[in-house]
Amino acid sequence: METLASLFSLALLASAVRLTVPVLLAALGAVFSERGGVINIGLEGIMIMGTFFGAVGTYYGGPVVGLLAAVAAGVVFSAVHGLLAITLRVDQIISGVVLNMLAVGLARFLNIMLFGVATQSPGIRGFTPLSIPVLRDIPALKPIAAGISPLIPLALALVVAGHWVLVRTTFGLRLRAVGENPLAADTVGVNVFLMRYLGVLISGALAGMAGAYLSIEQGRGYLEGMTQGRGFIALAAMIFGNWWPVGALGASALFGYFDALSLRVVALNVPYQFLNVLPHIVTILVLAGFVRRARPPAADGIPYAKEEQG
Amino acid sequence: MKPAAGRRLKPGLRPGLSPRWRLWLLQVLAPLLAILFGALVASVIILFIGKDPLAVYGLMLRFSLTRPDSIASILFKATPLIFAGLAVAMSFRAALWNIGVEGQYYVGALCAALVAFGVKGLPVVVHLPLTLLAAVAGGMAWALLPIVLKLRRGAHEVITTIMMNHIAAAVLLYLLADVLRDPAQAGTPRVRTPVFEPTALVPSLRPLLDAVGFRIPGYSSLNWLLPAGLLLAGLLYLFLTRTRFGYEVRAVALNPDAAEAAGIRIARVQFLMFLLSGGIAGLVGLNDVLGFFGYLDIDFPKGLGFLGISVALLAKNNPLGVILAALLIGFLDRGAQGVQVFAGVPREVITILQAVIILAIVVAYELLTRYVRVLRKREAERAAPPAAPSGTLAAAAPGGPGPGGGG
Amino acid sequence: MNEFLLELRGITKRFPGVVANDDIHLRVRRGEIHAVVGENGAGKSTLMKILYGLYQPDEGQILLHGAPTAIPHPRAALGLGIGMVHQHFMLIPRFTVAENVVLGSERAAWGILHPRRAEAEVAALCRRYGLALDPAAEVGGLSVGEQQRVEILKVLYRGAGLLILDEPTAVLAPQEVAELFANLRRLKEQGKTIIFISHKLQEVLEIADQITVLRRGRVVGSVPAAGTTRAGLAEMMVGRPVLLELQRPDTTPGEVRLAAEGLSVAGSRGRPAVRGVSFSVRAGEIYGLAGVEGNGQSELSEALVGLRPITAGRLLIAGRDATGLSPREVRLLGVAHIPEDRHRRGLVLPMEVYENMILGHHFRPVFNRGPLLAAAEARAFAAERVKKYDVRVPSVRTPALALSGGNQQKAVVAREFSFEPRVLVAAQPTRGLDIGATEFVGQELLRAKERGMAVVLVSSDLDEVLALADRVGVMYNGELVAEFRAGEVTLAELGLYMTGARRQAEPGGEPAP
Repeated sequence: METLASLFSLALLASAVRLTVPVLLAALGAVFSERGGVINIGLEGIMIMGTFFGAVGTYYGGPVVGLLAAVAAGVVFSAVHGLLAITLRVDQIISGVVLNMLAVGLARFLNIMLFGVATQSPGIRGFTPLSIPVLRDIPALKPIAAGISPLIPLALALVVAGHWVLVRTTFGLRLRAVGENPLAADTVGVNVFLMRYLGVLISGALAGMAGAYLSIEQGRGYLEGMTQGRGFIALAAMIFGNWWPVGALGASALFGYFDALSLRVVALNVPYQFLNVLPHIVTILVLAGFVRRARPPAADGIPYAKEEQG
Repeated sequence: MKPAAGRRLKPGLRPGLSPRWRLWLLQVLAPLLAILFGALVASVIILFIGKDPLAVYGLMLRFSLTRPDSIASILFKATPLIFAGLAVAMSFRAALWNIGVEGQYYVGALCAALVAFGVKGLPVVVHLPLTLLAAVAGGMAWALLPIVLKLRRGAHEVITTIMMNHIAAAVLLYLLADVLRDPAQAGTPRVRTPVFEPTALVPSLRPLLDAVGFRIPGYSSLNWLLPAGLLLAGLLYLFLTRTRFGYEVRAVALNPDAAEAAGIRIARVQFLMFLLSGGIAGLVGLNDVLGFFGYLDIDFPKGLGFLGISVALLAKNNPLGVILAALLIGFLDRGAQGVQVFAGVPREVITILQAVIILAIVVAYELLTRYVRVLRKREAERAAPPAAPSGTLAAAAPGGPGPGGGG
Repeated sequence: MNEFLLELRGITKRFPGVVANDDIHLRVRRGEIHAVVGENGAGKSTLMKILYGLYQPDEGQILLHGAPTAIPHPRAALGLGIGMVHQHFMLIPRFTVAENVVLGSERAAWGILHPRRAEAEVAALCRRYGLALDPAAEVGGLSVGEQQRVEILKVLYRGAGLLILDEPTAVLAPQEVAELFANLRRLKEQGKTIIFISHKLQEVLEIADQITVLRRGRVVGSVPAAGTTRAGLAEMMVGRPVLLELQRPDTTPGEVRLAAEGLSVAGSRGRPAVRGVSFSVRAGEIYGLAGVEGNGQSELSEALVGLRPITAGRLLIAGRDATGLSPREVRLLGVAHIPEDRHRRGLVLPMEVYENMILGHHFRPVFNRGPLLAAAEARAFAAERVKKYDVRVPSVRTPALALSGGNQQKAVVAREFSFEPRVLVAAQPTRGLDIGATEFVGQELLRAKERGMAVVLVSSDLDEVLALADRVGVMYNGELVAEFRAGEVTLAELGLYMTGARRQAEPGGEPAP
C-alpha cells in the first residue's frame, strides 16, 4: 500500500515534472528538425554540448550566460549537422552518429583545457527558483508550486509557442511543406535549404537548452555522460507525440514520470540498476507499440538536391 | 535532371587516365585527403594550446611506428576494432543501423565469462570454442529484440539499439556487482568475476611470432584473435561479393522494393544480417577478457562498439577495408598515448582528430559516389548515342505515346 | 501592346553530351492556346524549364511583351506572370487545397497566417474561373482531375497571365480531359495565354490555336491548328511517315493461364484497393486493364505477382492455386513482371547491368554453384540478353543507373522475357519512353503473345491498350466495371466506364472464346 502511494505521491510528481523538461526540450527540437525533413540523431551530442557549455557559462557568468552559451553551442553544433546533411547530403543518420562521437571527445578536451580534468566541471549555482504565489501556500501543493526552475514554465511556454509557429505562421507552413514535398515547395519559391537549416538550427537551440537544464538546474555542474541517452529518448518522444509539440509534451511527461520513478522508488525490491534503465525500457516499449500508428513527414530523412544533373 | 533531347556533342575523348584508373585513384585518395583534413583541424587545436603541430605529429609517427612495443600495442588495439568494425559493417551493408554493438559485446563478454569460469574440466579444444560460441550467442541474443521489433513493429533500430546499450550496461553492472562477483575479492574494491579456467583463454601469438623472428615485448598480450579477425574479414568479403546470399544482401540494401519484386525475402535477409552483426559483436570484448585479463572486470574496456562505427564508416563497410581502418584507429590511439606522455598534449585532441577524420571521410565518400555516377553516365552515353536520353527523374513520366495510337 | 506575349529567339541549351534545345524560335500570341508538341526527348521539357527559370539558356533571347527578359529562377517567372502546371503534381497531400494554393505566396502580415481568409480567397478564385473545388479539403483525398485544378489555381493565385501546362492530359480519363479543356477555354476567354505541351495529337488539334512541333531539340515547324491533320503532325514530329496502325497478329488463344476469381487486395492505407475482381487470360492473348490511375490497377497487378497480399478470392496460374504465394513462388510458376516503376521495382540502379539481368532469376540453378553465385555464367547470360534486345551499354559491368530510360526499360524487358515465362504481367510498360522504345516494347508484347504467352497489360494510355489488347477490362474504384473484346469499343465509351458513369452488369464473368 505504501509502495502504491509512493507511485503517485506529489513529491514524485514534482520530480517527474523536473525530469520531463530535458526530454521535452530536445523532443521539441526534434519536431522542428524533422518537420523540415531532417532526422537529427545528433541530438544527444548537441545536448552534451549544451550540458558542457551551460556549466561553463554559468561558472563564469551566471545561469543566464550559461543558458545562452548552451543555446549558442547547440546552434553551432547543429549547423555542422546542417552542413553535412542538407548541403553535402551525407546520410543523415551517419552525420548524427558521427556528431555524437565528436561531442564526447570535444567536451572532454574542453573540460581538460578549462578545468584540468576530463569528466566534470566545478559546482555551479543555478537559477533562482520560482514559487507560484497562491499555490505555494497550500501545503499539499507545495512540492510542485514552490522552488521550481524558471526553465520549467519556459519549456511549457515553448511548447505552446512551437505549436502556434508550426500551425499559424508562414514559416511553419513552409517548414512543414519542405518536410513533406521539398520539390513542390521549391517550385513555388520556398527556399528549401533555408527552411531546413532553420529547422535544424532551432532543434540545436532547443537541445542545447535541454542540456543546459541538465547541468545548470539538475546537476549543478557538468558531469560526463549526464545526458544518459536522453537525446535518443527525445526522438522516441517526438515519434510517440506524432511529430507535434503537444504530443511531444505528453510523451516526454511519460518518460519524465518513469525517470522520476527510477530515482524515487527504492521501496520496491528491484535492483537499482534496473530502475535506472526504466526510461530506456519504456522507450523501447513505446517504439514497439506505437510507431506504426504515427505518420512521419513524407520527406523525412530524404536529402534534397536542387538539380540532379547528369 | 537530364537534358530532354538533342544530338551529341563531340565524342570528347579526354586526355589522361581512363575512367577505371581514375576511379581507383580517387578511392585511394579520398581517405588520405580526409586524414589530411583531420590533421589540419587538429593542428589548429594543437597550435591553440601552444604546441607545434609538426613536432607533435612527428613524435606521434616515431612513437607509434618505430618501437616494437608500439607495433604490438597497435595490433592488440586493432584486434577488437576489427571485430567491432565488421559487426557494424555487416548491419550497415544490409541497410540497418546497428548502433548496439556496444551493448552486444558487453553481453557477449558476459556470456563468455560465464562459460569461462563456470564450466570446468573441459579440454581446451572444447572449452575455448564453447566460450567463443557463448560470446556469439550472447551478442546475437542482445541483437534479437531490436531486429524483431524493427521488422515486426517498425521500431527504429537506432533508438532501440542505443536503449539496449544502456540496459546492457545496467545488466552487466548488476550481475558483476551482485551476482557473479568473485567471493575472493569481497573485502576489496575490485568488482569482477572469478578467474577463468586456463582452458578458456585465447593462446598468445608469441610462440608463432618468436618462430618467425618478430620479437614483441614480454607484456604484450597479442593473441590468436588477431589472425582470427583477419580470417573473418576475408571470409566476410568473399561472402558478400561471391555468394548468392551476398548478392541478395546488396540488392536489399540498394533497393528493397526491387529486391522484393525479384523474390528476395527482405525481412529474412535483414534478420540474418543483423544477427550476424550481433554475433560478431559478441566477440569484440574477448581480446581483452580472454586474451589479457583472464576475468571479467567492471572496468573492462568500454566504447569499442562506438569505435566500430568509426571503423565501418572509414572502411566504407568493406570487410578488407575494416582491417586497415582498425589499424588506423589503433595507430591513433597509440599515438595519443605518446603525445600525452611525451608532448603534454591531451589525448582527447587525437579523439577529436579521429572524429574529424570520420566526418571528412563521410563527406569525401559521398562526393566521390556522386562523381562516379556522373562518370559512369558519360561512359554509357558514349556507348549509346542518346537517341532517347530520357532523364532519370523524368523517366517516371506517365503516358508515353502509344505505339502508333490506334483508335 | 505587342501582338506577341512571348517570343523566343534562338534559344539553345546544351548539356554534357547533348544539345537539348538548338536555336529555338517560338512566338506566342496574347490570348491563344499554343501547343508545343514532340515526342518524349524532343526538348519540350527543357524549353519549358527555361521559360520557368529552372534552366538558363546558353544562347538566345526571351522576349516578354516585346522586351528582352531574363528569368533567373522560378520566383522570377512567377513575378513576370508565368505559371507552370507540372506534369507530376507539385502538391502536398497532407495540406488543404487553400494551404497548397497559398504556399510560398502567403498574404500574411508579420508572417501570421489566417486560414479562413486564405480559404475565402481561394474560394473566390474558384468561382471566378469556374473551377469546382473545396478550399478546406485535404488534397490527398482529391481525384487526379481535382488535383490538377489545384495546380491551375496555384498559378492563377499568383496572377499568372501565361500558363504552361506540361502534358496535362496524361493522367486524365477522357471525360476529365473534356472538363479540363472546358476550363482552359474559359481561362482563354478571360484573357489568359496558355502553352500546352503534349504528344497526343488528337487533343492538340482539338484545343490549340497554334501548334509548334519540336524534333530532336529543334523547331521543325509552327502551324495553325485549323487545317492541319493528325498524319501531317505525326510526320513532322518523328521526321518520317508513321504507321498509325500496329500489325496485330491473329492468334488463337489456348488454355486459360491466369484466372482471377473475386480477387480483393488491400491498398496502402489499409482500405481495400481492389474488390472482387474476376477475369481470365488465355495463352496467346493480351488482356488489357484500362482505367484512370489510382483505381486499383497497380495494386491488382502487384497482387498477381505476389507482391501484395490477396485478402479475398482466388488466383489461379496455369491451373494451380497461386493465392498467397510469395513473389518467388509466383515467378517459379512462370510469371514474369514488368513493373510499373522500373526505378522502384524493376532495377537496382547502382548494381551492374549483369547483376540486374539475373535479378529474380538469380536463384535458378544455372546461376548458382553451391552457395556461390556463378558470375561468369551470369555475365554471359547478360551479354546474350543485351545483344538480343539491343540494350545499348558499354559493358555488362556498367551500373544500371548510367543507362538512359529507354535502355533501362529494354533491360527489364530482356530480363523478364528470359526463361520462357508463361504469363507476363506488364504494368505501364511504355511509360516515359520515346517513340522508338515504345514501339520496341509494343512489338515485343505482340511477339510474346504470338509465342503463346498470356499477357496482362496494365496501362493508363488508352491508345496503347486499344492497339495491343485482344480484350480490355476497365477498372473503376477498385472494381472491374466492364470488359470488351478488341474492336468492340471506342475510346469515348471506355471513358464512360473509366469514370464510373456506366458499368456492365457482370463483367469478366466468362472466359474468352
